[in-house]
Amino acid sequence: MDRRNFLKISAVGSATVALDACGKPEHQLIHFIPEEELIPGVAEWKPGVCTQCPAGCGLHVRVMEGEAEVTRHGQLGLLNMGLAKKLEGNPGHPVNQGRLCAWGQAGLQVTYNPDRIRFPLKRSGPRGSGEYQEITWEEAIKELVSHLSSLKSPGKPLPLAFLTGPLYDHRSVLIEHFLEALGASPAVRYEFFEQTVLCRANELSFGHHQLPTFDLANANYVISFGADFLGTWNSPVAQNLGYGTMRQGRPGHRGKFVQVEARMSQTGANADEWVYAKPGTEGLLALGVAHVILSEKLRIAEAAGEAGACIDGWSKGLPDHTPEAVAKMTGVEAGRIQRLAREMAAHTPAVAIIGGAPLAQTNGLANALAANALNGLLGSVEKPGGIFFTPQPPMPGLTDPKKGLSVRALAEGIRSGSAPVEALLIYNANPVFGSPTAWRLQEALGKVSFIASFGSFVDETSILSDLILPDHSYLESWVDNIPQSGTTEAVASLAPPAMSPLHHTRSTPDVLLDVAHQLGGNVGKALPWKTYQDMLQAAFDSLRSHPGSVSAKASDDFWSEVQEKGGWWSAEITKSPARRGAKSSAAPAKVAEPQFDGSPQEYPFNFLPYASLQFGDGRHANLPWMQEMPDTISTAMWSVWLEINPETADRLGIKQGDLLEVASQHGKLQAPALIAPGIAPDVVAMPVGQGHESYGRYASQRGANPIKILAAQTEPETGALAWASTRVKITRVGKKGQLILFAGGLREWPREYRHR
Amino acid sequence: MEHRWGMVIDEDRCTGCEACVAACHAENNIATVGDDQAARGRAMHWIRVERYYEGNFPDIKVKFRPVPCQECSDAPCEPVCPTYASYHNPEGLNAQIYNRCIGTRYCANACPYLVRFFNFLNPVWDKPLNLQFNPDVSVRSVGIMEKCTFCIQRIKTAEIKAQAEKRPLKEGEFNPACVQSCPAEAMVFGDLNDPKSKVSRLSRSSRATKLLPELGTHPKVTYLKRDTWDNGQNA
Repeated sequence: MDRRNFLKISAVGSATVALDACGKPEHQLIHFIPEEELIPGVAEWKPGVCTQCPAGCGLHVRVMEGEAEVTRHGQLGLLNMGLAKKLEGNPGHPVNQGRLCAWGQAGLQVTYNPDRIRFPLKRSGPRGSGEYQEITWEEAIKELVSHLSSLKSPGKPLPLAFLTGPLYDHRSVLIEHFLEALGASPAVRYEFFEQTVLCRANELSFGHHQLPTFDLANANYVISFGADFLGTWNSPVAQNLGYGTMRQGRPGHRGKFVQVEARMSQTGANADEWVYAKPGTEGLLALGVAHVILSEKLRIAEAAGEAGACIDGWSKGLPDHTPEAVAKMTGVEAGRIQRLAREMAAHTPAVAIIGGAPLAQTNGLANALAANALNGLLGSVEKPGGIFFTPQPPMPGLTDPKKGLSVRALAEGIRSGSAPVEALLIYNANPVFGSPTAWRLQEALGKVSFIASFGSFVDETSILSDLILPDHSYLESWVDNIPQSGTTEAVASLAPPAMSPLHHTRSTPDVLLDVAHQLGGNVGKALPWKTYQDMLQAAFDSLRSHPGSVSAKASDDFWSEVQEKGGWWSAEITKSPARRGAKSSAAPAKVAEPQFDGSPQEYPFNFLPYASLQFGDGRHANLPWMQEMPDTISTAMWSVWLEINPETADRLGIKQGDLLEVASQHGKLQAPALIAPGIAPDVVAMPVGQGHESYGRYASQRGANPIKILAAQTEPETGALAWASTRVKITRVGKKGQLILFAGGLREWPREYRHR
Repeated sequence: MEHRWGMVIDEDRCTGCEACVAACHAENNIATVGDDQAARGRAMHWIRVERYYEGNFPDIKVKFRPVPCQECSDAPCEPVCPTYASYHNPEGLNAQIYNRCIGTRYCANACPYLVRFFNFLNPVWDKPLNLQFNPDVSVRSVGIMEKCTFCIQRIKTAEIKAQAEKRPLKEGEFNPACVQSCPAEAMVFGDLNDPKSKVSRLSRSSRATKLLPELGTHPKVTYLKRDTWDNGQNA
């Protein structure tokens, strides 16, 4: 027997209950032998990489010795181990420069979440019942290998689907190799607030199929069309940093910020000028502004280069987009359009940002192309104060991921039988929560005979699994990340685990490698590394010969230094080769008017779901800190709500907190009314994130999920869901809903007055 | 000379992202009270972001203001405490001595900024969330008042370290959790007794203001008002 087991048995012998007088249950637990030597009370700061959103900020993790109640060898006991106590930003990291957002801070509650899956699980009840039994890792891997090796389909792709979120790291590379070697289709990558439309527009306008980076710190004028860039969109910490400098970081020099949207967002609240434009008309407004700049000869059309050429009528000065014409379409007065245009052209560097609802329309791609053309015209492309594209670090394995099916196409293929799936693997994605009911995804998954999930939580998608192989939390894992935006330097973040795993989880990349080796053959050859750590070491070694933030030259020293610093970055690499896919053969784009689902007579309101500050797309709803954090605009906690304009509410006899039924052509839900002075009279908005059916004790059965009632309308070229294009109608249910506000809440109200 | 800790919060930089709120909870072992208690007004956000509306749609303006304990020089919460649990420490902080608190809640009653919070119930952390506790900060139990301390544990740790190394504290050597996390760099913390410190200089800004100055509390948090664009004259 090994030392640990021998000493454990001795410990059981000596720490008998008889010695303990106070009778506290925890003192009856045995103490396992610590695996690391830490001085109590002394903190060690370790590097980390935050995975709470795709921005990929660098972390410093405060690790201190503590006593954790854990299960080892089937026995509950106490283990003194290094525990992550506090997360801070890594001051040296180019993306976040020492700062960290609310989600980043809440990352500790992912590791310590009471609802984390602690052991591999095998389904023991009907599918979707949530009944599982604990099994060993050997059994779990054996079962997975057995299912994968039994899949056969000569001459066609293997009927295996791998469903994951967008990953910009070597896990993505590993998954791609795995699938390719098996002969399966590329991974299906999904997140509700996808960036497909913007990346495609950037590809057409600028040659980069990538999210944009904005040098706000040097900008004098920022106009944002719908992008929540100071809250939840793109790379929020980096954008906040630049914004702060733009405002008060240059003495005597303060940039102007204009936000264009139909609902005052947390970002929009900071604008010097807030402009209401009808939903889906933001691209038309951008062209109206461009028209004025061109007609008043403040710039020439050619200045916009390729980006301008993407727009129909550009070289002729956009004759159809006079201020008067655009005013009719957008609701923004002609005089205002002219003034904004003149201001922008006179106060360069000026940059246009577009994101969020304007891209989630049927004309979303055209809206993005219009904003991009405006940037071209203002001369902000890859110039200080303008729009940039984060260069890629020179790592040979990092190829662009192959394009897989969309979730919608996956569901259709399964239901129709044209692309059957016998085995589905799920990692880092929850499309059953995050897709409209109209996609009938759950129905499709019912036809898949074997589903396995690698996630840490039983959510709406993983509850359908037959087998669960739980991953470590990111603080317990080897993590790397290649930021797609948020910096003008090439960055490859890296961190070893900051703490040992609490539970009987295994790193998913390591599990996939193990499975690959057991499958052998092509798959085994395609993934030669023994562990993910080895794969990372080999990948990062390729950076050694390039000048960057790591000075060590020898291989082992380089590897140590990269880990210490939390990654490798280089300002020397300033450009990546343009990543161009197939260019659209279509003629330059016309910005059409947006199409909405539901007639205005029957469905009088534009329905605007938005990424919530607390939960994003719903993934953080299981973190109690985020449930209790008051939403900035509403101050609501533990709630979901429907924002409605005060005059509209008066007209319909709706008071704060009244429970409303919100119905689209595709479904209905209920939510309490929140009187919102900042929303247009014919628009209603609802944060995304609540309404989980299963996602742990803090998130489940709480509120409603706006995604469910959305129309399956798409932006035609990319096929991206136009999630801002659904119309709804509202009726009062006749009672109050749960709306808990922090504002005005520091005194106890009697129950009747709780919906202030 | 003694330190006199103060803060400057720039409302022109603050974007309302609430990173400060989350960081504070993580640093100070603040209890999450749950939906039922939160509905009864018992959520404990030592720092909160207030939101003010002006005007009507579409000419609507929204302003954000992060409000921690103002660490008043003439704190109304101090003279009313029967046990001196709320006391003025030599560095100008309004310190809360948890062991002395008997929960009369009179300090919260007296505080005009509503920054004091009472533990109506014994806080509960579903295991293993308790593993996240910061060992440098007491975990409060039922019947205790609590509030922002400018992260006094960080202040003490830095002072002890500087003393052990026989040197003065350096500016920026440490910051409260909220100041450290703020992505827009809207918060500055430091020694008001050092006229050259960033916090002293910014306190003298033309945009500087305090909350409820007419009450005579002399708060040590200075707010810098939102600036205007001025038609590009300062662009």
